[in-house]
Amino acid sequence: MPPPPDPVAVFLNVPYDKEFSSLYVAYIVGLFQLGLVPHLASEIPGGDRRLDRIIQLIQSCRYSIHDLSRVELSAAPSAAPRFNMPLELGMTITWQILNPDQHTWFVWESEPYRIERSASDLNGTDPNIHSGTAEGVLRELRNAFPRDKMPSVPDMLGVYRFINNQLDAILLRNGTSNPFDRSVFMELCRLSNYLADILRPKKPAGK
Amino acid sequence: MRKPIHITAPWPTREEMEKRFPISKASEKALQALVDEFKAQLSHREEEPVNSIEPEKRRKRASAA
Repeated sequence: MPPPPDPVAVFLNVPYDKEFSSLYVAYIVGLFQLGLVPHLASEIPGGDRRLDRIIQLIQSCRYSIHDLSRVELSAAPSAAPRFNMPLELGMTITWQILNPDQHTWFVWESEPYRIERSASDLNGTDPNIHSGTAEGVLRELRNAFPRDKMPSVPDMLGVYRFINNQLDAILLRNGTSNPFDRSVFMELCRLSNYLADILRPKKPAGK
Repeated sequence: MRKPIHITAPWPTREEMEKRFPISKASEKALQALVDEFKAQLSHREEEPVNSIEPEKRRKRASAA
């Protein structure tokens, strides 16, 4: 039996494609603003089989977000359906059914009702709809994970815009064009946490 | 939408995150510069009373936000 999950850890099951990078940044920024810590399969150094690493990561996280907004065919020439996100969602559901107190999963989509056609077995699971925008991601994060003294969506958007504008410089510094690269993810997390810390309500002095 | 989860766990500390997400010294320095830039932008915004901004500029800022 694995150790209990980290109560602030959120496994992010998102498409690793460039078109998704701004929403990916919004997820990272927004989770830190709410005192939660995102985790990606790519953050774990190699060694074990990828699937084993993903299972371990799901087990170590108290929550998971499965973004099914881009499960369409990948770009030509070798167009193929994108099965990774549904596969990882299936693994998570199994883990949660076996350990109901250890994990809670969320499904996110960009369009309402589409999931009823793409994955009808999930009927009865209302997805969080982000409408394909960073603002939508931040809004839905606040809806899914409310906490006392959480920042407003405009405040969260301000931080998101600042960090998203730095993405090219972060990619350049890490010698990659892949925003999902481990080193880029690490920097995005550190920067998001620093800025969240600045805006976080501080305890009054002497209390 | 699932029933919201009310988060009560303590906010993660800077030290915990530094341990969990290790980066190079050079990256650390670059990020610190960005933090300073963000702080400067924030204090500039706080110093500028809303009414001192011309209505046209205010509208543009609101639509850009």
